[in-house]
Amino acid sequence: MPENTASPENTALPEDTAAGGAGTARRTLRLGVAGPVGTGKSSLIATLCRELSGELSMAVVTNDIYTDEDARFLRSAGVLAEERIRAVETGACPHTAIRDDITANLDAVEDMEEEFAPVDLILVESGGDNLTATFSPALIDAQIFCLDVAGGGDVARKGGPGIGGADLLIVNKSDLAPHVGVDVEQMVADAEKARDGRPVLALSRTDADSVARLCSWVREVLAAHLSGAHTPQDPGPMAPHSHGPEDAGHGHGHGHGH
Amino acid sequence: MEGGTGALGALLLADARLPVGGHAHSATLEAALEAGMPAERIPDYIRARLATVARTEAAAAVAALRAARGEPVDFGPVQAALAARTPSAPLREASAALGRGLARLARRVAAGHPAVRALDTAGRAVPGLRVLRPVALGALGAAFGMTAEQTARASLYDDVQTVTAAALKLRPGDPLAAVDRLLAAAPRIEEVVREAAATATPHDIPACSAPLIDHWAGAHAHTTRRLFVA
Repeated sequence: MPENTASPENTALPEDTAAGGAGTARRTLRLGVAGPVGTGKSSLIATLCRELSGELSMAVVTNDIYTDEDARFLRSAGVLAEERIRAVETGACPHTAIRDDITANLDAVEDMEEEFAPVDLILVESGGDNLTATFSPALIDAQIFCLDVAGGGDVARKGGPGIGGADLLIVNKSDLAPHVGVDVEQMVADAEKARDGRPVLALSRTDADSVARLCSWVREVLAAHLSGAHTPQDPGPMAPHSHGPEDAGHGHGHGHGH
Repeated sequence: MEGGTGALGALLLADARLPVGGHAHSATLEAALEAGMPAERIPDYIRARLATVARTEAAAAVAALRAARGEPVDFGPVQAALAARTPSAPLREASAALGRGLARLARRVAAGHPAVRALDTAGRAVPGLRVLRPVALGALGAAFGMTAEQTARASLYDDVQTVTAAALKLRPGDPLAAVDRLLAAAPRIEEVVREAAATATPHDIPACSAPLIDHWAGAHAHTTRRLFVA
């Protein structure tokens, strides 16, 4: 007989189905949060949990260089039940784990949707990587890309698939702008030019209005997802072209980066 | 997806770009290095795996391939035999995670194949454990029309390359040296391919675990600073 370490109540693991991917009729909204290291992704997720876990059933999957740093941060923040925060290993390839081989993340997402059903919102935090890492639409339904003012006012202008094509671009830590010599309004305006009208939000966790706008956006996407009106978009593999200042104001880059 | 894809299927299953979750695994190399095994002994580590766990898994993959040609297909005995020969719980879980990725792929590319449909019930043989990697590999081998040798080689190649690729992340060095490590193991890999290809029934699967690897894998499961699942 094979040895059996399973407890009796754990005898029937749910079988995966072929229709596990995003884009199928499914209650849970899977929302990705990507962006360079140190821009405040974990803090943004903690804020969302703090604000929304009272009204929504939520769970979080973190991707880290070393397993569970972000998961531990979130657990210690006390914003969500510990078992609803799960870390996946990425083999030192956080960009691969959210785009080219989403297996580990999909497993974690599907497990928690099953375990805590019904789940309204699962947040998937990418490992802090670079400006080119975005989520595959097979893993998530919508994605937030997170920059911060401390990374420099010109980052939004430089563009990239996340900056150009994510469903929402966050310019985080707006309260620090005066200290790092960045003009937040200019940074937001630069980002809007690169995004063909997709939303940009200057966020500070100490600015209650900005947090309220973030939560409203999530609620709107969730409602659109539930009504079937939302279609997952791929930000695309390539950054939209930058044409320099003389090109500003001409509708930008239609057909690029999609 | 129809037969006649055997040769291509063998390449596909050996390709690190196959999106089935393998990039997050180190074949317990991370734990071995963490426990103090010197990087110079990585070639010995590869040989040790080929003599033990990799040999058992290759034989199980061939047993699954043969089971996949039965009517009806029943992977239960292979799954149970392999679970019994994998004493480390974290290594059973790691194998099940990899099996889950392969099963997801199989359901996408060959949902109607009897061997792929049989994966739905294969896990029942061992309560609480999903389909193990070699079982899913055997099912895919059958769906692709692969031979026993191709299936065994895919299993062994994946094991060795999991170690060499993880080594580049854990003890960075010349990537070309990683290729040398694989080729140095080639004669032994082919020996094990021949041996594994002769596996007729689940009872023929050798019970070759490696106690030190099991021990390292157990410790790894409790560390918080991991790059790799196992």
